[in-house]
Amino acid sequence: MSVTLGIVTGLLMGAVFGFALEKSRVFEPGMIVGQMQLRNFIMLKVFLTAIATGAVVLAVLNGFGFVKLGPKAALYAADVVGGLLLGAGIALAGACPGTTLAQIGVGYRDAIFTLLGGIAGAVAFTYAQPWLAGSLIGTGQKLIFSDLIGIPYWQGAIGLAIAIVVVLALMEWARSWRADLGADVDGDHESEPGMGTHDRMAPAE
Amino acid sequence: MPSLADKAWSPYVAGVVIGLLQIPAFLIIDTALGTSSAYVTVGAAITGWLDPSLLKIDYAAKHVAANAKNWWQVALVAGIAIGAFVSMKLSGARRHPISPIWSRALGSSSPGLRYATAFVAGFVMLLGARIADGCTSGHGLSGMAQLSVGSTVAVAAMFVGGIATATLLLRRV
Repeated sequence: MSVTLGIVTGLLMGAVFGFALEKSRVFEPGMIVGQMQLRNFIMLKVFLTAIATGAVVLAVLNGFGFVKLGPKAALYAADVVGGLLLGAGIALAGACPGTTLAQIGVGYRDAIFTLLGGIAGAVAFTYAQPWLAGSLIGTGQKLIFSDLIGIPYWQGAIGLAIAIVVVLALMEWARSWRADLGADVDGDHESEPGMGTHDRMAPAE
Repeated sequence: MPSLADKAWSPYVAGVVIGLLQIPAFLIIDTALGTSSAYVTVGAAITGWLDPSLLKIDYAAKHVAANAKNWWQVALVAGIAIGAFVSMKLSGARRHPISPIWSRALGSSSPGLRYATAFVAGFVMLLGARIADGCTSGHGLSGMAQLSVGSTVAVAAMFVGGIATATLLLRRV
């Protein structure tokens, strides 16, 4: 495929991705920090729904032989160390690598610094990669759970999707997604809504 | 029915839309959704121009190669900003330059402190994502949908790191 066609496809898909991230409000720092402080569950709801949908899509596409799966190799030390750093960065950024761009799109200025720091972090990793590849990262197999259990991928994927739907139903029953939005749909439940002052609301009269 | 002018959609509607993006990703580009490799492509392309020796590292050369997959992901990430901008304009939402939660989370309303924190956070976030070989999209959305064992470990570690950091280093939002 030509690079140009790849770029056009990417822009169109990215626009849909960014549109959905904005509509779901999951890109808001208030949602992401709120999720990591376990007081706001919009992020987990969007995340799990997208995983379940992707699992059903891939169960069909792979089950009927249209596509091959491309899981990443299991590199446990790198997955744990990298995952911990990634999570720490997400909490302090109030964003993940994708939602940083959604924040820039809506005009959050601090997200420009997250982006620049992210590019610097990616470059720093690139310089260290030859050394890290031989030490921390190593090599591993592309393990998937359905192979470990000994069932076809499509059955495992449908099973995962069903399990996620059950979990989401329980989460929604415990707390409606509308309750997590906040007055200005940014996951902020303390400040006055709108573009007014940042003062905290007065204590109850 | 969700409207394009809504301020917020249900997380379930938005999540389904995001999950469906795996169809064009697998069928057209022959890859899964991901975003953090694009940071390497852009960073290595810029840095390689200043320091050509970087491009002698295979990892850098592989990411800046002029192929559809590399630049598809850069375009995807750029498209996210465009889509979010359009969605916000259609809904008439307005944002502060910095989310109001940060003055509480950081215990200071100084923009300089927030910008410095954001830069360091972005650095740690991408360093971690590249060590783990994926982020919330690549390991989370795509890896877990493919039942990947390594991705599940990475996502669990991501939430452990995120919850610990948000609890210990940030104040309650």
